[in-house]
Amino acid sequence: MILVATAFLVLMLMGMPVAFAIAISGMLFFLQNPDLPITIPVQITVSQTQNFALLAVPLFIIAGNFLNHAGITRRLLALASVLTGRLRGGLAQVSLTLSALMGGVSGSAIADAAMQARMLGHEMIKRGMSRGFTAGILSFGSILTPIIPPGIGMILYGSIGQVSIGRMFAAGFVPAALLWIALGLAVAVTARRRGYPPERTQRPGAGEVVRAFRGGIWALLFPIFLLVGLRMGVFTPSEIGAFAVVYAVFIGLVVHGELGRKPFLAALEGSLSDIGSVMFLIAVSAIFTYGVVYDQVPDTVSQVLMGVTENATAAMTLIALFVLACGFFIDATVLIIMLTPIFLPLMRQLGADPIHFGIVFIVAATIGNFTPPVGAAMYAVCSILRVPLGEYTRESVPLFLAVGAVTLGLVLIPEAVLFLPNLIFGRF
Amino acid sequence: APVSAPASAQERFTLRFNHVLGPTEPYHEGFQAWARRVQERTNGGLTMRVFHSAQLGVEEDIIEQMRQGANIGQNTDAARLGTYVKGMAVLNGPYFANTIEEVARLADAPTIKRWQDELAAQHGLQVLCFDWVQGHRHFYTNRPVRKPEDLAGQRIRTPPAPIWQESVRALGAAPVAMAFGEMYPALQQRAIDGVELVWNNIPGGRFNEVLRYASETGHILLINFQVVGSRFFQSLPAEYRTALIEECRAAGQATSRVIAEREQQVRQQMIGRGMHIVDNVDMEAFRRAGAKAYEVLGIAAERDAVLREVGR
Amino acid sequence: MAAFYRILCRAEAVIAGAFLLAMVVLIFTGGVARMLAMPLNWTTDIATCLFAWACFLCADIAWRNNGLMAIELVTARLPAAASAMLARVNLLLIAAFLVYAIIAGAELAWVSRARTFQGIPGVSYSWVTASMPAGAALLLITTLLKLRDTFRAPRAA
Ligand code: NA
Ligand code: NA
Repeated sequence: MILVATAFLVLMLMGMPVAFAIAISGMLFFLQNPDLPITIPVQITVSQTQNFALLAVPLFIIAGNFLNHAGITRRLLALASVLTGRLRGGLAQVSLTLSALMGGVSGSAIADAAMQARMLGHEMIKRGMSRGFTAGILSFGSILTPIIPPGIGMILYGSIGQVSIGRMFAAGFVPAALLWIALGLAVAVTARRRGYPPERTQRPGAGEVVRAFRGGIWALLFPIFLLVGLRMGVFTPSEIGAFAVVYAVFIGLVVHGELGRKPFLAALEGSLSDIGSVMFLIAVSAIFTYGVVYDQVPDTVSQVLMGVTENATAAMTLIALFVLACGFFIDATVLIIMLTPIFLPLMRQLGADPIHFGIVFIVAATIGNFTPPVGAAMYAVCSILRVPLGEYTRESVPLFLAVGAVTLGLVLIPEAVLFLPNLIFGRF
Repeated sequence: APVSAPASAQERFTLRFNHVLGPTEPYHEGFQAWARRVQERTNGGLTMRVFHSAQLGVEEDIIEQMRQGANIGQNTDAARLGTYVKGMAVLNGPYFANTIEEVARLADAPTIKRWQDELAAQHGLQVLCFDWVQGHRHFYTNRPVRKPEDLAGQRIRTPPAPIWQESVRALGAAPVAMAFGEMYPALQQRAIDGVELVWNNIPGGRFNEVLRYASETGHILLINFQVVGSRFFQSLPAEYRTALIEECRAAGQATSRVIAEREQQVRQQMIGRGMHIVDNVDMEAFRRAGAKAYEVLGIAAERDAVLREVGR
Repeated sequence: MAAFYRILCRAEAVIAGAFLLAMVVLIFTGGVARMLAMPLNWTTDIATCLFAWACFLCADIAWRNNGLMAIELVTARLPAAASAMLARVNLLLIAAFLVYAIIAGAELAWVSRARTFQGIPGVSYSWVTASMPAGAALLLITTLLKLRDTFRAPRAA
């Protein structure tokens, strides 16, 4: 696998599209293991497209494009400008709020990041925010989506580790709020240092506020409809994307009367390239991941790690750092599946609370979606906005530090995680 | 005088064995025990590495890889094998086998032997054994189910294979094809009304948090098949093949007994956590309803042939 | 030849767009039907099958529009000649991978034709598998055209 990882870095630095760099370096593992059928890379790539959970990604990309062309985004942004126009970096704060709203309905950071990149990305750049920072906040902000329940990571962890999924869900709220605050502060500080100007200097008049709310009502109702729909038991997460598209088309066609034949086709055509770049990458990354699992790489590394300490807090800190490091190269889902059965028994033995550890672990693993060189949400945002990875990386450092600090803070303050589940379900 | 080991025993083999269940399920323990015994008996010549939670990939993908000669194995079921040799699906039908002992006897039925030969020769899949029994499947819902009519309109999650779908439909419910991992959120959001599983799946999937009633219909005895590719199997020395099969049967029977014992504990534990057991389930009505599945799929003759051979 | 290629590109976009719209409609219908306690399992099945095809067709559209993400950290700082040379090496490696994907994909679609799609009798999974070699063939055409462009206009990115 060392050869594969090296080849990947070399190919990527040679300027090869990341998708092909992943696929070609991943192929080296199969050349090293000739007893494996050489058709496996094709098979597992195709298999990725058959994953019902991943189906949400293209649907949310389409939804983002249609929300734009239906006039919903424009009205939402007008409202945002009235509400946050006097804040520095106001649209970046709006995007965090939107991620939190999406969090209540969707479990996927990648889908949320892709949709928001479509909806808000170009506007943020147009209003003077740097491209790298725009991509950074759209990507890192989507961490709120899987941490606010429901989240696919919690379901995986709960079922593999025999931990209550209900408790895991309840435990997500406070950490999500902390992440929101930390990212909001990072945005405020960056906006001040860079001198991003506020959009307006005057307080908006009451009439203007009412008009903006009336214009943005359908956009505001959108997440509320989704939440209600979900609680009433209408849709699974994978179907919410489809609902969002239908909703956007309905509003654009019937309510706003803006979605004619031309904007309709433009929305669809814009989705094609977005979906191609995001999904192709996610699909071929299976070729790379196969070798990691086959050689049981995380297994080996973690055994080494466990020789170091016997203190629960120290061990959890080490694991969080280790997972953050793994996350640079490995997808969150893979990390959770492979590392839960290795780390959880150990943490139980050391006396840590499985819910506490689970949230720390899932937050750390999810951050991998946003960190270079391999990160699905990062890829989604950067390819939709055409932001170079170098620029993204440089400007995301404060955001990485913010979420990293929250992760380590959660290690030290178990009450932040356990307060709510204990309140709802009682102590064991 | 020192005799050199036979040439065949000098070559070392590795078998990676994949299953979809979690690491705390009794099966995982059982597979590891099987792996240890095989390693001991072959003096390390054949190493088995067990991968839980479908880490190596989707079950259907793994089966395809085995057919192409990969040194990989998979824990699977008669429903999936039935897509290659149609008759095999009967082992997954409603009320086919009733006890672990009956399953062990099935291994000697000539018809089943013929199906296994066909599977190996024509489809490249070698069955090692099918002594792994996860127990009876029951309905877990939020409304009590006493007779097939009580299932009318209830959306019950069912594995995506024809014999599963038709069995659950025959028993009166509306089957919804869905992956194992998607059940919990689907129940929470009421996208489905219930599941049909074995008792031992309930605590692992935390289903007692979202489902209230257990109706012990026992409509399917869940038998699992341990399968490797025939090309890999044939590449092994004869004594390794024997070790692999014999230890598969031994570990499978031991694990099935452990599961049967644990099932009672799990059942008590779930009652303690607030699950209600539905009493007076009309078993005769369910048996009659279940027979329809074999007719719909056109495998009633195959079922009768096997049952005749084992004297039932 | 050029006219034929234009038609091919147009057809690709039309098919991909139609598949995506169909996916939306199918998944939405499936959700509504299940809500009404009349689950339609085939809607998801068809949607995931269409998804495989849409995914690879869209990949080619993205590749043609230079929409696939790449790191230009190093290449941007090289002299034009060296950077063009590197681009050719990249494109040749990519072409080699795509040739592999076409051959292995076709082989897989052939040997696995007995595997059923979602357990539906009579519907072969090869219909899904075939999406990758087909997509790889389109990607290969795009790659070779890009390779030709590096010779025609040596300063082009
Ligand atoms: Na969420
Ligand atoms: Na990463």
